[in-house]
Amino acid sequence: MSAIAVSPEAAPDVTADYVTRVQIDRSCRQTVLGYYASAVAWLLIGSLAALITSVKMHHPEFLGNYEWITFGRIRPVHLNTVVYGWSSMVGIGTTLWLEARLCKVRLPHRALLPATVIIWNAGVVWGVYEVLAGHSTGVEWLEFPPQVLGIFGFVLLVLFWVSLKMFNQRHVHHTYVSQWYLFGSVVWFPILYSAAILLPTTGMVGGAAWATTNWWYAHNVLGLYVTPMGLATIYYLIPKVTGKPIYSYHLSLLGFWANALFYSWIGTHHLVGGPLPAWIITLGIVGSIMMFVPVTTVAINHHMTMIGKFHMLKTSPTLRFVVFGAVSYTAVSYQGSLEALRSVSHVAHFTHYTIAHAHLGMYSFYTMTMFGAMYYIVPRLTRNEWSSVPLIKIHFWTTSLGVLAYFCALSWAGWYEGEMMNNPLIPFIKIVDYTKPYLVARSLSGSFMTIGHIAFAILVFRILRSSDVSMIGPTLFTSKRGMMRWRRKEA
Amino acid sequence: MKLTYLLIWGCMLAFGSSAVWALVWAIRRGEMSDFKAGAESIFDEEEPVGRPTDAFPGARP
Amino acid sequence: MNRSWSFIAGVLATILFSMMGLIFVPNWQFEQLKPVVDQNGISHPTPPAGSVLLGREVYISEGCLYCHSQQVRSADFGADIQRGWGTRRSVARDYIFDRPHLMGTMRTGPDLENIGARQPSREWQYLHLFNPQITSPGSIMPPFHFLFKVVDKGGPAPVGSVDLTANASPTKKASYLVPSGRAQDLVDFLMSLNHSYDLPEAHQ
Repeated sequence: MSAIAVSPEAAPDVTADYVTRVQIDRSCRQTVLGYYASAVAWLLIGSLAALITSVKMHHPEFLGNYEWITFGRIRPVHLNTVVYGWSSMVGIGTTLWLEARLCKVRLPHRALLPATVIIWNAGVVWGVYEVLAGHSTGVEWLEFPPQVLGIFGFVLLVLFWVSLKMFNQRHVHHTYVSQWYLFGSVVWFPILYSAAILLPTTGMVGGAAWATTNWWYAHNVLGLYVTPMGLATIYYLIPKVTGKPIYSYHLSLLGFWANALFYSWIGTHHLVGGPLPAWIITLGIVGSIMMFVPVTTVAINHHMTMIGKFHMLKTSPTLRFVVFGAVSYTAVSYQGSLEALRSVSHVAHFTHYTIAHAHLGMYSFYTMTMFGAMYYIVPRLTRNEWSSVPLIKIHFWTTSLGVLAYFCALSWAGWYEGEMMNNPLIPFIKIVDYTKPYLVARSLSGSFMTIGHIAFAILVFRILRSSDVSMIGPTLFTSKRGMMRWRRKEA
Repeated sequence: MKLTYLLIWGCMLAFGSSAVWALVWAIRRGEMSDFKAGAESIFDEEEPVGRPTDAFPGARP
Repeated sequence: MNRSWSFIAGVLATILFSMMGLIFVPNWQFEQLKPVVDQNGISHPTPPAGSVLLGREVYISEGCLYCHSQQVRSADFGADIQRGWGTRRSVARDYIFDRPHLMGTMRTGPDLENIGARQPSREWQYLHLFNPQITSPGSIMPPFHFLFKVVDKGGPAPVGSVDLTANASPTKKASYLVPSGRAQDLVDFLMSLNHSYDLPEAHQ
């Protein structure tokens, strides 16, 4: 990657701000695109695993003779590829780019960082292989062999180091709210991950405490890893795309600290009614209810910033996805707080209702936000334009309608499943029968989402392959004028 | 047993005080005083407040 | 260089705080739990050993936990006890030997905390695992054909086999269902899932 020859002196109508930004984007190019390309590949693999799992739920004989893709193995493969493959890799890529932008410094260690892409991928491949081979650890969200900690842990340490370095060399006085969230996830996740693996495997924690460790981890993956990355992205992109600063900066900081304090306690609501002392469960419930505070601050901020800018949803692909994600965040968080209540959990626990909720969070909020982020970031890294408007629209409509249908079908099925389960007069098999049509609906909506993922993968593949510089309308770049000059100089 | 108690309370004290420390640090740095500047810190001359920066390919923002 | 440290410390504090509360304190509380010994000198729960432990591995490897929980809720919270999934609620002491825990969070299928007491027929378990439709028509449990061998009826019945002809559709050829070693271990484990002994704290 050669240094960029543009300077304000060489081309008087190109401003210093513009050059700095181009240089920062450029410094991220290899690393971030590496993470993104891998993430999209894992998204496709994860979707395939999801479809196989989903079909098996209503047609249990489907591919039933192959032990390595039996339901109980392909299901964790789906979860782990979308969490550690797609979500982590797209999140790390976005984190690095955002940090470089927020600190206004170029990405350091540009020779080392692309290697972490390969290392992380190797970890996921190994983990998936072990699960398919039947060597899962049997701990939900942590099915990969504990040794994978060495691989992921190394990359996470590098990520921490790079974040710290950029933060300490930053050229801006104010620490923007996105920066807080990103720093949070960069610090929290390595601790979470290593504690959740090391404490049980070294024998320090066992029995019922392993269950609290498990759900402390699994829910914090959402709250202290995925959510901060998603919120940081939303807090940056909504103002940036609309050109309107965040509604209340004050509230955004309050939201960050409230999130940090309360979210880490809520994991044990997964064990409501379970074999644990009441105080542990109560802590989880209290934490969940306290989450109303940060969620409300975030909701006010995102939605108030959007006021007066809704017409832009028609013109900006990034904004469509990101706002869809922001609305889902509000919805999933309030739903989650209520779901933790004993009276709701009494029905919803152990049913498909929880699965619907999880997808509202991981997909409707996080994944859609990250799609939006990629629509914004990739053209700025490749200096290319997205190749097809129809494909973007197909991507948006299939995924958004798909996940809505998915959520409605499973929430409905799950709630009645729970109501019936609490009525001892209804035989269990009747409940199974009741859910079957909804499970088919899940496969259909999942196929819909997968179509969207394929459309997106085609777009990403094309933009990465393309060396076309003849841009007709450089829509994604602010300074058309500067852009063109820069290109001419380079050519 | 006593050690565990000490450990638990010691940790809680340490965590609590470091949270306060972070808060004091943030206030001292002025992170909590000039909210407008904080919110606008992601804009610059080239991409100023008021200018949209994204649109479908071929369309004007 | 040093200014970011106070911020990191604050962020770190929040997570370590909850780690204390949700991992170390519960673990410290549960660590002190001992099995109870009944009048016959048998301790409950019993530490798993031998084929039960191997069967537990099969249970994990085939991912049974994604659809089956192993926890009975109290009588005033759900219908677990009325459904006959247990005689009392599960408590932390039931799990002191569980490495890892298999409590589960889904009930696509019924709870298995006491399956050994509820369904003590090994034959039923084998047929159900081989093809759930034989014993539970309409079930969405996946079949585990690969844990079994089907041999034609001709000679004497192989040791430990189940007569498949009597149980499967009549059009099929006369055959025996021979469980593999792993299937036997798995059923040994399922049979060991019996928490019908009494514990004082389960009534509180």
